[in-house]
Amino acid sequence: MVNLTVDDKQIAVERDATIYDAAKAAGIRIPILCHDKKLHPFGGCRMCLVEVEQMKGRLIPACTTPVSEGMIVRTMTDEIIKARKLVLELLLLKHPLDCPVCDAAGDCDLQNLTYEYKVDANNFTDEKFHWEIDYDNPLIERDQNRCIHCGKCARICDEIVSYGAYSFVNRGIEAKIGTPFDGKLDCEYCGSCISVCPVGALIAKPFKFKARWWALNKVKSVCSYCGTGCQLTLGVKDDKVLTTIYDEDQGFHNGQLCGRGRFGYQFVNSDERLTTPLVRKNGTLQPVGWDEALELISTKLQEARKNDPSAVAALATPRLTNEELFLFRKLFKDVVGTDSIDHSAGYAHEALTAGLKESFGITASPSQIVDIQKSDLLLVIKTDAYETHPVIGFEINLGVKRKGVDLRIISDKTGKLAKLPKAVNYLHKPGCELLLVNALAKVIVDENLAAESAAAITGLDAYKGMLAGVDLNQVAAVTGVSLESIRELATAYAKAEKALILLPIGLGYPGHGKELAQALSNLALLAGKIGQEGSGLLVLGEKNNSQGAADLAIHPTAGGRDAAAIIDGCASGAVKILYIAGENPVVAYPDRAKVEKALDNAGFVVVLDLFLTDSAKRADVVLPVKSFAEKCGTFTSVGRHVQRIRKAIKAVGESRSDREVLADIIARLTGEGVAADSATLFKQIGCYSGVNYDALGDAGAIYPVNVSPKFVPVVGSVPATEEGKYALLTGSALYHCGTMSLSGVGPMLVCPEQYIELGRVDAGKLGVNDGDRLKVRSASGELSLAVKVGLRMPEGVVFSPYHFADASINSITSGKSVTWVSLSK
Amino acid sequence: MEQVLFRHNRPGRCVTISEYRAGGGFLPLEKALREMSPDQVQQRVIDSGLRGRGGAGFPTGKKWSFVPRDLPGPRWLICNCDEMEPGTYKDRVLLEANPYLLVEGMILACYALGVEHSFIFIRRGYETAATNLARAIAEARGAGLLGENILASGFSCDIDVHLSAGRYICGEETALMNALEGRRANPRAKPPFPAIKGLWGGATVVNNVESLANIPFIIAEGADRFRSLARIPEASGMKLFCVSGHVRSPGCHELPLGIPLSEIIDDACGGMREGSSFKACLPGGASTPYFTPEHLSVPMDFDAVARAGSRLGTGGVVVFDQNTCMVRATLNLVRFYARESCGWCTPCREGLPYVVRLLEEIEAGRGSLEQVALLQEHVRLLNHAFCALAPGAMGPVDGLLRHFEEEVVEHVIRGRCPFN
Ligand SMILES: Cc1cc2nc3c(=O)[nH]c(=O)nc-3n(C[C@H](O)[C@H](O)[C@H](O)COP(=O)(O)O)c2cc1C
Ligand code: SF4
Ligand code: SF4
Ligand code: SF4
Ligand code: FES
Repeated sequence: MVNLTVDDKQIAVERDATIYDAAKAAGIRIPILCHDKKLHPFGGCRMCLVEVEQMKGRLIPACTTPVSEGMIVRTMTDEIIKARKLVLELLLLKHPLDCPVCDAAGDCDLQNLTYEYKVDANNFTDEKFHWEIDYDNPLIERDQNRCIHCGKCARICDEIVSYGAYSFVNRGIEAKIGTPFDGKLDCEYCGSCISVCPVGALIAKPFKFKARWWALNKVKSVCSYCGTGCQLTLGVKDDKVLTTIYDEDQGFHNGQLCGRGRFGYQFVNSDERLTTPLVRKNGTLQPVGWDEALELISTKLQEARKNDPSAVAALATPRLTNEELFLFRKLFKDVVGTDSIDHSAGYAHEALTAGLKESFGITASPSQIVDIQKSDLLLVIKTDAYETHPVIGFEINLGVKRKGVDLRIISDKTGKLAKLPKAVNYLHKPGCELLLVNALAKVIVDENLAAESAAAITGLDAYKGMLAGVDLNQVAAVTGVSLESIRELATAYAKAEKALILLPIGLGYPGHGKELAQALSNLALLAGKIGQEGSGLLVLGEKNNSQGAADLAIHPTAGGRDAAAIIDGCASGAVKILYIAGENPVVAYPDRAKVEKALDNAGFVVVLDLFLTDSAKRADVVLPVKSFAEKCGTFTSVGRHVQRIRKAIKAVGESRSDREVLADIIARLTGEGVAADSATLFKQIGCYSGVNYDALGDAGAIYPVNVSPKFVPVVGSVPATEEGKYALLTGSALYHCGTMSLSGVGPMLVCPEQYIELGRVDAGKLGVNDGDRLKVRSASGELSLAVKVGLRMPEGVVFSPYHFADASINSITSGKSVTWVSLSK
Repeated sequence: MEQVLFRHNRPGRCVTISEYRAGGGFLPLEKALREMSPDQVQQRVIDSGLRGRGGAGFPTGKKWSFVPRDLPGPRWLICNCDEMEPGTYKDRVLLEANPYLLVEGMILACYALGVEHSFIFIRRGYETAATNLARAIAEARGAGLLGENILASGFSCDIDVHLSAGRYICGEETALMNALEGRRANPRAKPPFPAIKGLWGGATVVNNVESLANIPFIIAEGADRFRSLARIPEASGMKLFCVSGHVRSPGCHELPLGIPLSEIIDDACGGMREGSSFKACLPGGASTPYFTPEHLSVPMDFDAVARAGSRLGTGGVVVFDQNTCMVRATLNLVRFYARESCGWCTPCREGLPYVVRLLEEIEAGRGSLEQVALLQEHVRLLNHAFCALAPGAMGPVDGLLRHFEEEVVEHVIRGRCPFN
């Protein structure tokens, strides 16, 4: 610790603190324009100048100057005020001062400081710049005339996002933030640059002219897209969510969001939202009152409850709150008496609900997101972890670039993560993950690198026995990863003091299921990487409450039908009533034609959704439900983090929350009222008994788990290949998450349609360029898709995301990790 | 007069390696590698009192001593030959006549610092100098004086010549490191200082060409000999003064430090031009406050010049006669700096163009006394810039207001430039 005096206050701070940090710790605010706690110090604006007794003669920037013992700092003298005023006056010299039409007004550091320092007259006059404004990209309006050259946009895009869209160009007064070749911005559209811009030089187009900043109500909540669980602040006015607001003090991620979190909020107030219940009459869905719809559903369920509960099945989206999932389970398992409930197509949660459940005795990861930056070595399964969980991607970026974390990736493509400094990507043939993971374990055993702790874990002998059968040379030949690489990776992993494995899961990743999770658990146990900070295994649940759905066991636990069997049951007539809360099986589950037929064949289908989805269109009853912005409750995100969402607006139309609907139906069936408030429900959730709902606050809580580890040998198999065909992989597009982002507007502006991505060599062979179309034919169907040529895909391997409703990729896939397709123009 | 830097020079051409060696060149290197430890080399440079010739006058040996001996990872030496300051051309003259001194000086510095790889960062326009250096480096390598296992001593080091992409700010040592790394040439915050964390994050020393070129002499002849070369006891060594402006024969001369300004002008440069009388000069390059006739007897050494209210800087003396409008001369200089600002910090990026405007107004006769006061305030406030460029740019403005305030005010009162 270092002792110093700031404005007569004695204070002790860490060695690496700056004067700015020290003042902040002492409760003294030093004005800043270019400083951001997340970024490397910049020191350019000169707003934070202070006086240091020991460095008399000139003023010192607080944000870049480290503290030293005995320093005596003054943060406000006449000379300091003069210097700060000069900075403001100089910045205003060229500034267009178009505050009346600037969306940053009220939230603008330049405006606020100008006010605070009473810069009411400018001694200076000068000509203004007339830089052309970049209106040409879908989401970010860039007006360099308003720029104050703090460099934060360029720095955050480089340091944290690792994209590098901006750089200063020109010199002197002509200096400005430029894009490559000074063209229009073309980037990831995460919006991080907007969030840190202290002025209105970068603004979110969707929010332009929507509201004055001070008129917005700011409501803290949690993002409802992926499982990262980023906290966000909704900007609300007149019961509309108009924007997301940056708050650098929110969450582990310091307010950072990805593009869908930042720009994908518009589904909440979309004109397409369902507003009344619909019941199919004479073949068409017609608006009815809630009572009629609920009575109809209850009657059907009541009948089945009495006669044949097993003919009832229910699917829930892991976007519902824990409290809703709790009631969902209660209604179907306890009240109706069917075990045929499931979510995420049945396979996208197995890594947790079956894999980790057997290997660790829990349905959750033993590790947390904060372990990423604390680790020495990260072993990421697929570079897609960035696309599925972009803000976890930022954590990886920071770990690698700031903490020197050794990044190793086992991947079937060369995505963004592979380009991080010193990252090693072990590019393998599609579908070979399990073989590789077992091969790593084999090397660890062969080279005596196993941890001592492994000996005490049940099943080691059987595991070793299984590994004895692994033929490393064969693995190398099949996977395309050389024996040396396998050895090197295994050794590095085993020898790293702290090593963490990341496994993204989701509908687009059928291969990331139970077995892969278990193989990885075995590997981590073998190498002794479970149970300490910075080590372990982190399974990245796809959606905002995937972890909650796993914890609450929204899947069959007593021999009931899983999602695939439910679909089959509908087709065969065994399932007569299907209740679908927020899932969109037609678009997201494997084999679209089969799902469509099944839904059409089911006797009675209820869909609860925000929108009339392709699945809802086939229902008998459609109920309009509230979005995350209209209700309260909790989500559980990656790493067992339970967080509260808060009601920000009134219900859209007549929507009710799934919680209200479920409670109503339960009451109708049982004749007894059920508590439907979140607090009461949460307290009934057994697996969260360790969490105090009332104390969740803004930060949320990580619920504790006890790991009881076990080796569960899983044997890899050599994936089948088809000569002359391309391996089609599915997964997440960076801008989308599930199918909800399709209504998020922002994501659709950047990534509007289903596409097929291929490498340059294949594109050359096929004679196609970006934007051309290709016919993609598999055993189960054919699609015509737009071509995207990039550097990610190796030869012979193509990729297509799964989110889109039109030309949805499940028209040609059937739930295997690799689909073999032929491509033609 | 004893010459240190020009002693090997041949009239009208560059010296050859054999001539250089015949004149004792590379013997200091042999001597150091055979007889001296790196610490001893460094100590001798400290004892010699050599101060940096790149502008700031920081003691060279002391700068070297800031590099921690035990810091892991590679360390670097960079020779700064960007030389883009108006009025400064000494490094060019030196290298066009003799690149070997620098090469030898750098090898000695590398030896003292434990550097295995060093760079010469050279102004793009210095083609002859760069060619000379490339040849000298190749010859030295061929002669076993550079590269692996130099003179069988076990010590290895190499030198790379890097052509600057060409901006004044590239000469600022931290911006230079950014440029060398392939980044935009913005200065970096200090601390961390380059000696701890510089090029590619490694310990780095940046020295000017002339500073390094003095090292062989210091090693060969000893610290005391070097000190005694200066004209006054507090100074040490010789200095290249590159004189331009209204003198009879402008040029670059190697003269003892501490020599009075008048001797440089009168003896070395043949006095003022016909019809000219001395009005002012920039004593040390374009970023130093003016000297006036009252300063003609000031001994030209770092501390003495500082005591007289200016800086010795690079030793680029720019002389102005009685017909020079000091407002216009200053405007011309500040324009250069405003254009060359990297744009990083507010005072420099926005402040210098504003100072240019103020000076333009005053020069055009549209100025006011309030503007003169504003100018004065800027001299003080632009000191708070990120790097030394803006404070340097305000050097001449400072001098203008201190020594020629009447001339400035005359512009305002008469509503025109009195020299028109
Ligand atoms: C804007 C600016 C430009 C500079 N340009 C040069 C230059 O061209 N050559 C040089 O040797 N030093 C230049 N310097 C000084 C260097 O930063 C550094 O102090 C010097 O190279 C150190 O060498 P020395 O210790 O041998 O003097 C410049 C400094 C500033 C602020
Ligand atoms: S939106 Fe994100 S990726 Fe695009 S420039 Fe801004 S910070 Fe970079
Ligand atoms: S655009 Fe905004 S964030 Fe970027 S440099 Fe300008 S003011 Fe700073
Ligand atoms: S989609 Fe995921 S990563 Fe993006 S903001 Fe939402 S929770 Fe965070
Ligand atoms: S906040 Fe410190 S210089 Fe900008």
